[in-house]
Amino acid sequence: MKKHLFAAIVLAALGGAFAATPQDTYVYMQNAVFDSLDPVQAYDGASIGVIENIYETLYSFKRDVPGEYEPTLATSYEVKNDGLTYVYHLRKGVKFHSGNPMTCRDVEYSIERILVTMPGDSGAWFYGDALTGYGNDALTEAKKALGENASQQEIDKFLDAYWQKIDDSVVCDDLYTVRFNLAGPDVAFFAKMLFTAAGVVDSKWAIEHGAWSGTKDDWKDWIGVDLRTGYLHNHASGTGPYMLVKWDDKNIVAKAFDGYWGEAPAIKNVLVQAVEEEATRLEALRRGDADRVDVNDWATVNAKVKQMAGVKVWSDPAWSPAGAHVVFFNFNVQGENNPYIGSGKLDGNGIPRDFFADVNVRKAFAYSLDQDAIYNDIYEGNAAWYTMALPPTWPGYDPDIPIRKLDLDKAEEYFKKAWGGKVWEKGFRLTITHNAGNTVRQAVAEMLKANIESLNPKFKIDVVPLQWSDYLKAARAKSLPVWPLGWGADYADPDNFIHPFYHSEGSLAKRQNFKDPEFDKLIEYARTLVRPDQQEERFAIYRKIGRMAYDVLPNVPYPRQSPFIVTRDNLQGVYYNSMISGAFYWKDLSKK
Amino acid sequence: MFNYIARRLLQIPVVLFVLSLIIMGLMQLLSPEQRAAAFVTSDKQIENLDLIIEKYHLREGFVVQYKLWAGEVLRGNLGFSRISKEPVLTTIRKRFPASMELALAAFVPIVLVGVWLGTQAATHRDSLLDQALRVVAIVGWSLPTFVVAIWLVAWIYGGLGWFGIGRLPSSLLIELAGGDVHRYTGLFTVDGLLNGRPDITLEALKRLVLPATALVIVVSAGIMRVMRSSMLDELGKDYVRTARAKGLAEKAVVYKHARRNALIPVITMAGPMLGRMIGGIVVIELIFNFPGLGEWAAKAALQLDVTTLLAFVMLIGLIMATANLLVDVAYVIVDPRIRYE
Repeated sequence: MKKHLFAAIVLAALGGAFAATPQDTYVYMQNAVFDSLDPVQAYDGASIGVIENIYETLYSFKRDVPGEYEPTLATSYEVKNDGLTYVYHLRKGVKFHSGNPMTCRDVEYSIERILVTMPGDSGAWFYGDALTGYGNDALTEAKKALGENASQQEIDKFLDAYWQKIDDSVVCDDLYTVRFNLAGPDVAFFAKMLFTAAGVVDSKWAIEHGAWSGTKDDWKDWIGVDLRTGYLHNHASGTGPYMLVKWDDKNIVAKAFDGYWGEAPAIKNVLVQAVEEEATRLEALRRGDADRVDVNDWATVNAKVKQMAGVKVWSDPAWSPAGAHVVFFNFNVQGENNPYIGSGKLDGNGIPRDFFADVNVRKAFAYSLDQDAIYNDIYEGNAAWYTMALPPTWPGYDPDIPIRKLDLDKAEEYFKKAWGGKVWEKGFRLTITHNAGNTVRQAVAEMLKANIESLNPKFKIDVVPLQWSDYLKAARAKSLPVWPLGWGADYADPDNFIHPFYHSEGSLAKRQNFKDPEFDKLIEYARTLVRPDQQEERFAIYRKIGRMAYDVLPNVPYPRQSPFIVTRDNLQGVYYNSMISGAFYWKDLSKK
Repeated sequence: MFNYIARRLLQIPVVLFVLSLIIMGLMQLLSPEQRAAAFVTSDKQIENLDLIIEKYHLREGFVVQYKLWAGEVLRGNLGFSRISKEPVLTTIRKRFPASMELALAAFVPIVLVGVWLGTQAATHRDSLLDQALRVVAIVGWSLPTFVVAIWLVAWIYGGLGWFGIGRLPSSLLIELAGGDVHRYTGLFTVDGLLNGRPDITLEALKRLVLPATALVIVVSAGIMRVMRSSMLDELGKDYVRTARAKGLAEKAVVYKHARRNALIPVITMAGPMLGRMIGGIVVIELIFNFPGLGEWAAKAALQLDVTTLLAFVMLIGLIMATANLLVDVAYVIVDPRIRYE
């Protein structure tokens, strides 16, 4: 008897050999942990991947069509006053998860909450840039404007003016019409409003639970605060198709919202888990305990995932991630006793600070980078080519610009031309850095070293891995001569790539001391083209910049791994939109 | 006895103070930028490095930073964990039970298996059994935990579909998130019973089997070897000969007399081991998706989350001190000759 009981317990414990998740449940095991569910604070893929299903923006991304949008909480919008005013007409009859109705007050509250708090480690800066003209929170700006020794009176005056700008920037014309008054023309304003930080928060509910009151009374208490300590960090009331049930450590549970204004989704329960060990995620996928898992790279997909029964790998050569990777050249290296440029002279033991100001040097380096090897060997052919520093699916990208492939004859030709022949004659020594642990960037650096050193015994390149923080610090100090680095989109507008990469004031070009008046003029002009009917002209300018960049060569874009999605094969409605953090919205999913 | 325990308890705050000084001191070896970089989670935040340094007082000296921290702690605020994105205490409250559940589930079989096999090896000294157990011990000892864990996940869970990973299946996680099941202790095995939900207890137990097995395979070897040598020691002593001479049955000699005495070194070893296991077993937690204290603390160490690290070290100090105290008490139970004045 005892034996039978034991056997029964063992059998019960082992369970069935295969356990698929229920028909109305979606289980996603991802590799990253969540940072914050407060839409203003969240700035990482894992958190935004949840928020984008709970909160909604005025317009949102259209499924799998890059660069197209559809009305969501708004029904239409107008651009007025030479792009200084945006008016959105709001959808009526929309309810929050709490049951409160959504009106213009909520939109006003949500956007002003960004401008009041402006957390330094969030995407708030680009809303500030557009609406108040300030990229930092009020106290930081006060310190910047008035200096350290300003009197309390001066600070208060500055803060009052700052508040006035916040208050004036978002105005409710009536209960269902919201007007944004911009600090200056901003081509990317519409795109910025698609980002989750502009998700509309239930203001009544938020205020009831101790968030900012929405008035001037307590706004100073909220300047620059870390919203991870606030109520909205782990509670939510949005208008989205899913409502947050609970965020418990590494698990987030959401369920379909019955009062959703749109079509009711097929999936009723969602569990997103942070499972950091890849082997564990893969076994869970194999067993059917997960419907979707993150897989780190194509090599694993090809070696392990494709053989699994009941698993589907979604990919498409047309997909490209919302980012770009390039090798930067520094036109004027900074820093005393800079260890990366040797002697600092063109004497065979170093390079002069403006070594890369000669376009022949840059071209020689570009012809020494084996892009085919990156594409075929590192990414096993599952990659996207980049002709310019802009995601290939984005408007303004020109696929017809040629790409410099490995050509050691041409590299030699340009090295011989460089610096009037002195580079070839004297030789040089420099250091290429990469962030430690990034194997792709390491390979790029090693490739450049091997190919360039093979040209001339007097060419010496050292490859040095730096810790992430040191790497960024050195890049910021403009002390690196050559370094590979990537950039991911903040918001879905090509200006978010063109300006940082190609304008002399751009956050990336600045670090390489790249300045070309032609580029600056075109980029600044493009920024004035704010009307919807001017967009084609703007994108044509970006294509022109891409072609100019091929000749001027401030940086060398190189291929990136093309995206893929790994799911159980009964999951339907999967698509890839590079601006949706989860690649797709949960509401579009269903199961066979 | 009571005095002894009281004295030991009074030492704990001193230990904790010294620990906090050491951790805080070590942090000073890093530059403010390096410490600030620990706060950066995306390429975008780099621009704000200076702001971060200022906000968290990273440029201040050791004394200022220690005072800031200690002042908050004395007010009962252990701070906010950047790793778990919630107050440190909240995380400890969630993860401590998970670690506890796993540690206990593994500890009991580890000790039982270790003691049993150790006794067998000693009583069958140099026999085939002893030789075989020696090989088992060496294999268990030399296998890295992560290898055993991945094998179990890939073969037993992935291949055969037995047991499971995580603390509970997703259907129960979704149900629990709804809040109908009250979490009295945070130990799912216990909470299931308290809520009248034996299915939760069963599922939680099922999911403890694989990680506990991995630990038994890797950790029992040590206990077994200690038990064997200690047992051999005891079996060679005069009182054993006397007992045998009295005509006592061999079973009574071995299990009642010798083994009890042989347990002392095992207890010495097992106490801190339990402490360490409650502190978390990083590899096991990661591979079996069993979020406990270890993984949290390891990440805090990697990302230099001082607040989390300090709280964790304090907690470990507390656990270890308690574990050592329990060891001392266990000595008395096992060996009545031991007395504390």
